[in-house]
Amino acid sequence: MTRATILAHPRRFVVLVAALVLVACQATGQPPTTAGVDPTSEAATLTPVSFMAGFSPQANLPFVGAYVADAQGFFADHGLDVEITHSAGGGEHLQLLTTGTVQVTTQDAAVLLERRADPGLPLVSLALLGQRGQQAFVALADSGLESPRDWAGHTVGYKGTPPPDVYAILDAVGLDESDVDLVNVGFDPRVLTQGKVDVYPVYKSNEPDTLAGWGYELDQWEAADYDIPMLGLTYVSTEELVADRPEVLDAFVDAAMEGIAWADDHRDEAIDIVATWTGSETDRDHQRFILDTELADATSPVTDQYGLGWQTHDQWQALEELLVDYDALSSRVAVDDAFTTQFLE
Amino acid sequence: MTRQAVAADHRAAADRARTIDPSAEVAVAARRRSGRLARLGGVALLVCLVAAWEVGVDLAGTPVWIVPAPSDVAMALRDGLGGLAEAAVVTLGEAVAGLVLGTATGLSMAIAITFFRHLEQAVLSVALLAKSTPIIAVAPILTIWLGFGHGPKVVVTALLTFFPMLVNALEGFRSVDPAIEDWFASVDADAVTVFRHARWPSSWPFLFTALKVSAPLAMIGAVVAEWMGASGGLGRSMWLAYTNLRMPDLFAAVVVLTGLSALTYHLVTVAERAALASRRA
Repeated sequence: MTRATILAHPRRFVVLVAALVLVACQATGQPPTTAGVDPTSEAATLTPVSFMAGFSPQANLPFVGAYVADAQGFFADHGLDVEITHSAGGGEHLQLLTTGTVQVTTQDAAVLLERRADPGLPLVSLALLGQRGQQAFVALADSGLESPRDWAGHTVGYKGTPPPDVYAILDAVGLDESDVDLVNVGFDPRVLTQGKVDVYPVYKSNEPDTLAGWGYELDQWEAADYDIPMLGLTYVSTEELVADRPEVLDAFVDAAMEGIAWADDHRDEAIDIVATWTGSETDRDHQRFILDTELADATSPVTDQYGLGWQTHDQWQALEELLVDYDALSSRVAVDDAFTTQFLE
Repeated sequence: MTRQAVAADHRAAADRARTIDPSAEVAVAARRRSGRLARLGGVALLVCLVAAWEVGVDLAGTPVWIVPAPSDVAMALRDGLGGLAEAAVVTLGEAVAGLVLGTATGLSMAIAITFFRHLEQAVLSVALLAKSTPIIAVAPILTIWLGFGHGPKVVVTALLTFFPMLVNALEGFRSVDPAIEDWFASVDADAVTVFRHARWPSSWPFLFTALKVSAPLAMIGAVVAEWMGASGGLGRSMWLAYTNLRMPDLFAAVVVLTGLSALTYHLVTVAERAALASRRA
């Protein structure tokens, strides 16, 4: 654009410059800082961080940790200005994490290993909040199925793809895949109550409460009952951020773990905070069930010894071997690269 | 005037036109050349777009799990061809079954309205309700009623495809030349005779237009239904690829789906030409 053109079309020039500035801000891959916008505000002294919960707003423990840390000012106390967003649950949170748009997200431990193996995402677990697997299997109490051994000859559901849990449980009771009819049943538990499937896969903190609310008694089985080393939800970041911005991740984990501890001590108040995210129409009792269930699953002998969120090589190695045994991993994963305890120490 | 007489008139008029304008054949040849050039231009544009995509992804260093390069997609297509072909057969079967059901339903409703005008408001209201209901809301109920097999996918596809046929068929049945209607009225023809000899033939272009819309839509419908829970099909392949962030596999499935949609559209076009030509003959 020549000087003459600029003089002839000054508005175009201003628009062009503004667009270039915007593009330059985007190109950094980091959220724009508040510095320079309003230096007198408190936010100007805080480090911006983007946290994306791995699903819609609800009382999953890692979500609650962030909600509470935000509402109670723990993030600010640790020098962070955290933007909380939510994924639709299709995996986009991991894509956004790896592109740097998001700095921390949540993910199931097994899926974390699977995505490290294929397509090779550099994910790192910062804290392990699900010391046991999230999923279980339920049957109606009057179905006559008293143990997984009784699943033989019945339809056993899965959501999307059969989880390694189901094969491991079958193995543990002396059955194999050919003894049951594995069916993709989707996410609507009415298929259980309407008799379309005999054994339905649930998230322990979710559907059992829904089904109980409809008046159904359930029998429930989970991997941990058979010493199968499944793990649950984690806070996740990337190798690059762990190496380059450890102080930010350290502050985030500290604040979020404070949030979880606060939620444990103030469960009703924590649900009030959750409700500000889920909307006023939320079923508070159901959210409380989610929180209570996940708080119970957050503890183990490991956390008793080292504290909430702790994770060990043995836990991750056992999970990795389980996933390999049941063909859930396309290649071996070096588990020591997949987690760190440096932010929990 | 009978239909045969009208056709003979048209042929004679065409002959006269050729006789009167000797450059007509030259014009036809020019149109063909222009058509070929347009097709070549389309292919060239497509090639340019794919090349730009490949170069853009490469220059930007975009990870394969965000946007794969066309070469990655091509490799995924080659490596997964067997599985994709198997999935495509499942989806195609559900799409065709759903299209047949949806077409039959839409056509039946249009015929019912044509014969019983007082049904129009009621039938169209129900049709609009069915058309406007989000598939995601009814799919679980269909699974509860029909189980986990192909049934719910076929019904979802039918729900998506019946409406274009209903609207177009209705329009087609009403597109009869008023003069012809008057003629049938003058000979006191009953409604069935008018339908058979006037409304049905005049509706053909409209029916094929509906099919051109609903055939590719049927493929989308089957894939959407499979995406929400299935044991096979392109929708399931795409869901698996998406949730596992295998973007080349996802795009490969999209390529297959796009190809099938284009094929179904082309088949309808060919059938339309053949049907209309046979009618003229």
